[in-house]
Amino acid sequence: MAVSDNRVTFWFGCNMLRHAEMIRLSIMLLERAGYDVRAAGGPAYCCGTAHDHQPHGASNMAGRTVNRFNEAATKDGRGTVVTWCASCHMHMSDIMAPGNTVAFDITHISELLVASIDRLAPSLTVPVPRRVLLHRHLGFSTHVPINDRIASMLSRIPGLELIEGPALPGHMCSGIAAVPGALKTVIGQTWSAAIANRADTVCTIFHPCHREFAALDGRDNIRIRNWVQLVAEAMGIEASDAYVGWRNGAAPDIASIERAEPSRYQALIEPELRAPPLQVASAGIPE
Amino acid sequence: MTKLPPARAETTEAFLVQSGPELAALCTECGACFNACPMVDYVNLRGADPRIVTGGLRRLASGEAAPEETVAWVGACTKSGQCVDACPQKAVGLDAMLLVRIAKQRAINETRQLPAKQDPSYFPRIKTFARLQLGDEELEKWL
Repeated sequence: MAVSDNRVTFWFGCNMLRHAEMIRLSIMLLERAGYDVRAAGGPAYCCGTAHDHQPHGASNMAGRTVNRFNEAATKDGRGTVVTWCASCHMHMSDIMAPGNTVAFDITHISELLVASIDRLAPSLTVPVPRRVLLHRHLGFSTHVPINDRIASMLSRIPGLELIEGPALPGHMCSGIAAVPGALKTVIGQTWSAAIANRADTVCTIFHPCHREFAALDGRDNIRIRNWVQLVAEAMGIEASDAYVGWRNGAAPDIASIERAEPSRYQALIEPELRAPPLQVASAGIPE
Repeated sequence: MTKLPPARAETTEAFLVQSGPELAALCTECGACFNACPMVDYVNLRGADPRIVTGGLRRLASGEAAPEETVAWVGACTKSGQCVDACPQKAVGLDAMLLVRIAKQRAINETRQLPAKQDPSYFPRIKTFARLQLGDEELEKWL
């Protein structure tokens, strides 16, 4: 796989905006791999996949997003859209493109980085002495061999021991959350596997999974990290994680809350950050 | 790299309207997709008749009401994708996951057998998270 032009659009989706550091790290990794990156996401670049109950509105959103990427391709030479979100990627491939004329191709960030591993590998010099269990889903492999790609990236990190977690249903935890009881089961299966394998880290691939695991950070001496954070650690780059901190009692600084508007913060953000974590069985302590 | 397919309709809405009956026509109601689906266990449908469920899948994708088991199954689709390779009609162009996806949409919007899950705070919440964390330049350039 090769991208002929190094100018790309990094389409990070909507819900990644909970994890700004992960967006910045992704951009940094793409740039270190030699790409000229323009990031795009949020509601103005919605794929429409979360709005099945509004087919007309979702169709308009999809058309608008395709038009923006077409413009980036024709006017700015960005003929490749690099995806992060499995939902966005599948929706573009299966529904948005057949319903719109597109002037670009897509590739997932994991494919692009693995294809550029020779450029990245010399930077992976800092040992990351973690025993890492990879949280995996079955889905999205229809489009991108995501679990293999991430495992391939992580295997290049010095000092990191990788254990593949159970292959769980769904493509990301967000889909599972809609089925009563299912999310608790799959999170519990990953957690139990991490304990059984004496892992000290659970590595998430996608942001909705990271969101679900965040409140478990530190429990059973297991930390929650996303794969881009582990790659950054191996580059000697600090990979802070505000969302994990917020889910475990920290609060955003006052200036940030003022910027977001305190009433909106209280109504829209705080309930999510203060929600109790899913109850999973801890080591030696039945649920 | 994924080479995107050429447009088959002028909008995604039109594409989905067109594709439901097209994909349903390729389906033989063999039940292989249902048998391969890991979500069947999560909604206690393992004892259901796969042929009846997938017969309903065809009808639902064309906008007709389907049996309760079909509706429960498509409502529990989490895009595991195991149905895609399990489908013996894949070779002739049947994307089983897309068929289920379309059937789910029909169950929400046409036969009204599934409730519409609306979250009016979805975009406002995302925008607030963005303002909480992004600098002015990032807000201007990324969103």
